[in-house]
Amino acid sequence: MISSSSIVAGLLSWAFDVHLPLVYTVLGILWITPFLEYVGWKRNDERYMKLVGTMLNYLIAVYAIGGVFGTIITVFLAGLMPVFTNLAGIALWPVWATAIVAGVIITIPVIGMYYRTFGRWGHRNHAALGVLLAISASIIPLMFRLVFAYTAFPAGTSIVPDGSSVTGFDLVVNVAQAFNNPLYPPLYASTMFAALAFTGAMMVFGFSLRYKGLPHQDLGITIGRKLALVFGALFAVSASAYLYEVYQLSPTMAWSIFGRAPPYLPSAYQPVYRPTYNLSMAFYTDVVLAVITFALLLLNFRSESRALGVLLGPLSVAVLDISEAVDLLAHAPYAVVPPLQVAEELASKYGLSFALIL
Amino acid sequence: MAVDLTPLRVLSASGIIAHLSLASTFLGTIALALVLEFRYLTTKDEAFRERARTFSVISTIVFGVGAAYGTLVEFGLVTVWSNFVTLMGAIALPFYLELFAFLFEVVVLPLYTLTWDKVRNGWAHFGIGVVAAFGGYWSAYNILAVMASLSMLPPGLSIVNLQSHGQSISKAITYVLEWQSPSDVWNMYWYGAQVFIFHGILAALLVSWSLVAGIYIHRYIRDRDPIRKRILNHMLLPISVLTLVQGLVLGHFQGELVLRDDPLKLAVFEGMYWSGLRVDPITSIVAYGTLNHEFWGYYSWPASIRPPTYVTFTYLVMMVGFGILLGILALALGLSYAFGHKLEKVGLGFVYGLEPWLERASQYLIPLSAIMAGIGGAISTESGRYPLIFVSSVPSGSGPPQIEGIPVGALLNVTLSMPVWEVALLTLVVLAIPFVAVYGVWLYVNRRR
Repeated sequence: MISSSSIVAGLLSWAFDVHLPLVYTVLGILWITPFLEYVGWKRNDERYMKLVGTMLNYLIAVYAIGGVFGTIITVFLAGLMPVFTNLAGIALWPVWATAIVAGVIITIPVIGMYYRTFGRWGHRNHAALGVLLAISASIIPLMFRLVFAYTAFPAGTSIVPDGSSVTGFDLVVNVAQAFNNPLYPPLYASTMFAALAFTGAMMVFGFSLRYKGLPHQDLGITIGRKLALVFGALFAVSASAYLYEVYQLSPTMAWSIFGRAPPYLPSAYQPVYRPTYNLSMAFYTDVVLAVITFALLLLNFRSESRALGVLLGPLSVAVLDISEAVDLLAHAPYAVVPPLQVAEELASKYGLSFALIL
Repeated sequence: MAVDLTPLRVLSASGIIAHLSLASTFLGTIALALVLEFRYLTTKDEAFRERARTFSVISTIVFGVGAAYGTLVEFGLVTVWSNFVTLMGAIALPFYLELFAFLFEVVVLPLYTLTWDKVRNGWAHFGIGVVAAFGGYWSAYNILAVMASLSMLPPGLSIVNLQSHGQSISKAITYVLEWQSPSDVWNMYWYGAQVFIFHGILAALLVSWSLVAGIYIHRYIRDRDPIRKRILNHMLLPISVLTLVQGLVLGHFQGELVLRDDPLKLAVFEGMYWSGLRVDPITSIVAYGTLNHEFWGYYSWPASIRPPTYVTFTYLVMMVGFGILLGILALALGLSYAFGHKLEKVGLGFVYGLEPWLERASQYLIPLSAIMAGIGGAISTESGRYPLIFVSSVPSGSGPPQIEGIPVGALLNVTLSMPVWEVALLTLVVLAIPFVAVYGVWLYVNRRR
């Protein structure tokens, strides 16, 4: 029989795996198009304008479906993990509020404006609007990735024993200190680099798939693979830094991702931190797929094969989706993985069964 | 010290009503597109096709802004009323089903709007539209099921008050909901919810069609374009019939539920401002068909659970009064447009004689009445149960039935602190966003000209 936690894991992974490639593409398009427009205007090169116009045509549809899946995630979270979502909403409300302002109040109308004013405004002003929009849209992951980092390592949280609480204690979160989470900078950097690399790969994929020998398509493929290569390399560096911090600070995740308990974990605490899923196979498969993607990208520089370009699409989606699913599911059985120091404190007060109380 | 919830309630209510206006407009315009496309398919009159296409695009624009706006409202609610999220865990079924309806809309609606010249078989295209509209109505059905549960506790669902046992979850969550058995979760769609749902859907349809009818009458007075009159003939009489159904059938059933589940709400609706039992002839005849039935007055319950008295105005004047006005105007003008001087044969010639006056008044009063009735109904429903949600009543031996529920104050995010100016600013932004949809529709309509 399928356990309820597996259903939760499956539904959330599905929603995240549809949502994230779409919003990564939105972020990528928003950052890339203003620069393409500016360069095209400076060089008086019509190919760049055609390329920007083509990319903007995808923006609204991708944003709409990505937004729908964002809503699906919030409802899944509230429906499947209501107490966790409730407490996270209370503890980190300034984070959600900032994401709402940036993500909805500013970004939605301005995306429509950015799309409609292309070709109507002067290119310099339109590109400037695009950069402002990209900054605003980047605030959304800037906020949400803090929550991801928090669930892996709850920085800025103190535990106050409370006999009246069903859990036996209260969690008090200092939001300012939560931003000092060591996992947060590399996670956010890897998100932004991944968004640009992924969009570059999608440019190669999309233009290769519908190739008709048009000049702006050739330009899109050339620029796309450069972006994918440069930002893919930066993603590899920042993701490694994130994994290093995860390994040091989040024992359950480290165990789940790398397949064995980290050596700093005392054996007495192993039952507490044992992960629900051993995701090491998925993780190593992801690394192998990433290396293959990188190799194909390099090959594409030499051969300019359309088949290779088309192959980059599904491979990039697979790399992204597996990495996000691994990051999401490695927390289990915890929604928020307790740090080792906290576990020691809790164990001294409540015994090792505190985790069961949670 | 008790926190004044009014500014935050105004903020949330503004967001919900603004979202509701977009959702209602979508439901109305997609239905209108289908009615007109159906007329095109049966008459082959290109004018119907043209208008059907226009309304399909308008519905898509409104849907796009409304969907994004829904996310804003959802995040806003979760940020302010955070502890509702724990309760959502118990009533999540309609939310899940609504998500798939939403997905349906996102995929099929653009397909319907973008394939007018591409799908050669007209009935096939109409079928796509029906599927897109189904997504919208199914979505409304589920959200209204959730709203119904706030006003009337579904059978099998019970409230657990942790605080009464000296407990909480992290000093924030003090109430949880519990089903007697897992299969009881389907009681989210019990009979009471069905009445609430269809009452709400019909209200949405009436408001949006009345709005469109007002615009069409306004233009018809100026250009006397016969196409407009033909389209109005498809709207005005249905509005009057549906208003009748809304008031006398669904409204009556809804009233019976309020009488049974929340007599305090009934007291504030009907303005029964007394303490103890007293005969109210008007409510008695509406509820029981007699003149001498006794009702518990508003002051029979403690002040801490009494809803605000303005609900009497929003119910009797805004919802009932303007609802009746809407029905009368739509019926009179609808009859005059549809039958003209033939009305004299049945002794209703005076209605035709009044047509010029009716037109001038209706262009403003039909949409205004519908909007007032819609907003009045929404405020009455939600404020009439305030300060409680998941309301139920338990008979007591001698006194009035005991009204139970979860206090709205228990949902508030305990860490939230927002100055009034910030709330006011957010309210203005929240109310301004729907104009993005209005602007989009304006751009589209003017481009087509």
